[in-house]
Amino acid sequence: MGTEQRVAEVIEASSAEFVAQCYKLDQAPPLGSLVKTKDELRKIYGVVYNVETHSLEPGRRVVARGEGMETEDEIFRANPQLAKLLCTDFQALVVGHRQGDGLHHYLPPKPASIHSFVYTCQLEEVKAFTQSLDFLGLLVDARLPIPVDEVIAACLRCAGQAYPDSESFLIKAGKEMARLLSSDARRLNSVLKRLR
Amino acid sequence: MSLDLAQVVAQIEEMATSLKAREGERRAKLDFALDTLQSPAAELNQLRQKIETSKTTWLVAGLRERIDLCQPALPCPEDIIILASDGSHIDVDRHHAAHCFLINIGIAQLQYGQNPDAWLSSSPSLYFKDDEVVISSPDGRREVIEGQLLGIKRSIEECRLLAERASRLETSLPVVALLDGSLILWSLTGQTYQDFVVHELLVDGFLKYLDKLREMSRSRQLAVASYISFPRSTDVVNALRLAICPHQPVDCDHYCPGKFEGRECDAVAGLLDRDLFARLLAPGERSAIFSSRSSVVGKYYGVHEVNFFYIKLDGEVGRVEIPLWVAEDKKLFELVHSAILDQCWRGLGYPVALSEAHEKAVVTGADREQFWSLVERTLAEDRIWLESSAKQQSKRTRWI
Repeated sequence: MGTEQRVAEVIEASSAEFVAQCYKLDQAPPLGSLVKTKDELRKIYGVVYNVETHSLEPGRRVVARGEGMETEDEIFRANPQLAKLLCTDFQALVVGHRQGDGLHHYLPPKPASIHSFVYTCQLEEVKAFTQSLDFLGLLVDARLPIPVDEVIAACLRCAGQAYPDSESFLIKAGKEMARLLSSDARRLNSVLKRLR
Repeated sequence: MSLDLAQVVAQIEEMATSLKAREGERRAKLDFALDTLQSPAAELNQLRQKIETSKTTWLVAGLRERIDLCQPALPCPEDIIILASDGSHIDVDRHHAAHCFLINIGIAQLQYGQNPDAWLSSSPSLYFKDDEVVISSPDGRREVIEGQLLGIKRSIEECRLLAERASRLETSLPVVALLDGSLILWSLTGQTYQDFVVHELLVDGFLKYLDKLREMSRSRQLAVASYISFPRSTDVVNALRLAICPHQPVDCDHYCPGKFEGRECDAVAGLLDRDLFARLLAPGERSAIFSSRSSVVGKYYGVHEVNFFYIKLDGEVGRVEIPLWVAEDKKLFELVHSAILDQCWRGLGYPVALSEAHEKAVVTGADREQFWSLVERTLAEDRIWLESSAKQQSKRTRWI
């Protein structure tokens, strides 16, 4: 999350999330990291909640090829077509947007555009976005195919790296989580444990 | 229910019993064929002369090497480029009023060694103009391209794009350019196509692109071959028929007119070349190189005369066809042998480059439907009203 890098392209989008295909195999941004897409009017921010690597063609299954090989790298050297037949996708939950000078921690009026580029965010941008923790409400209420508390904890750990004093940031975030999950001590505990 | 499989079960069981009963007979024929292969009757010069003076009703392989030769492969060069091309098409549909067809060519370029890389592409082309959908002679005769002729047209496009891709390679690495299926455009022989059709497709088409590939092979190590999986050819078994035949010179019409069984040579009838080489060759070995004595090859192919050998893989025997200029260059045909073996090893039994080219080329049933609906929608948007047949409409809307 150090410098801004163009890593993927939006291939599916809805108001609440988008799916992006990475330009390089296995080069998805980390789980929980903040990414963004841009168009003329706004930047849309998302938190990576799932990464998948799979065959580009639905009918073709990947088969094991490395039985007689020393390293995994050797498999790709011996089968150079693999890198063209596989792809890494990630899904991101939309957590806010910037329009003009305003930074908003709620859903944008329109979803990300198909084929818009997806960038990782620089530490300064992460810091600016997480000055307010209002976006955590979107994460807490999200219905995801993977455990949402894992995503929340990963997101806060990633964001913590943008602060010189990450401990203070995590304490502030922990308090916000305590407020959001005041009626669910078990979930709160589960998230807090994962912040270490 | 359209097909009642329950009714077919008993027939399948009957077929299995019949195949089992014939297995013993087939094995005895194969033993005899292998004995003959290694007998004095199959001695190279003697059999070659017998073949050259024969008049037969079947296609007999020409001999370049000892008929029972088994040759192991050299190691495949580590740094090598394999180019492969394959195609699919959507034929003219007479139930649609728009007269057009589509050819989709897939190309795979796989580079191995120090700088492994892959390039996969698919190039669809729609043919609809008058001069694209018919072949015309200067005196006004016309042949519409559809059905079998479109299959030939597709083979030519496969070869054209293979040559075009090869010409763009800026490399000093050895290159093997592969086509799927036979180098012999068999469909042109079976039908009585007029000369101008054969000329356009073969002389000005397929052979012209083979010429280009040959031209490139003068300045770099480039070999061309085609690969046939599970071949059904009998050219070599037919050469054995000649070895068995007691008549000299062999003349089927003279000595055995109207006879199709009970002849001496029928001792190997029903065997395929692949049966023979499955027993003769060890895994990885190639057979002798044979030449095709097909009439279309003799009449038109010249320096591209089709030669072939069989190769034993782990799961099957494949047939590899090469033009004469590859067959006469030891370095090139050895390269083809080792590269195809290596490709089959990487591709779990089938050359991986051909398999990837096929994946890029394939047109599924769903693609066909989408294609025709796209054609209709686009024409309708442009307010071009074209009627389609009632049969077509009925297929689309199934009702009870």
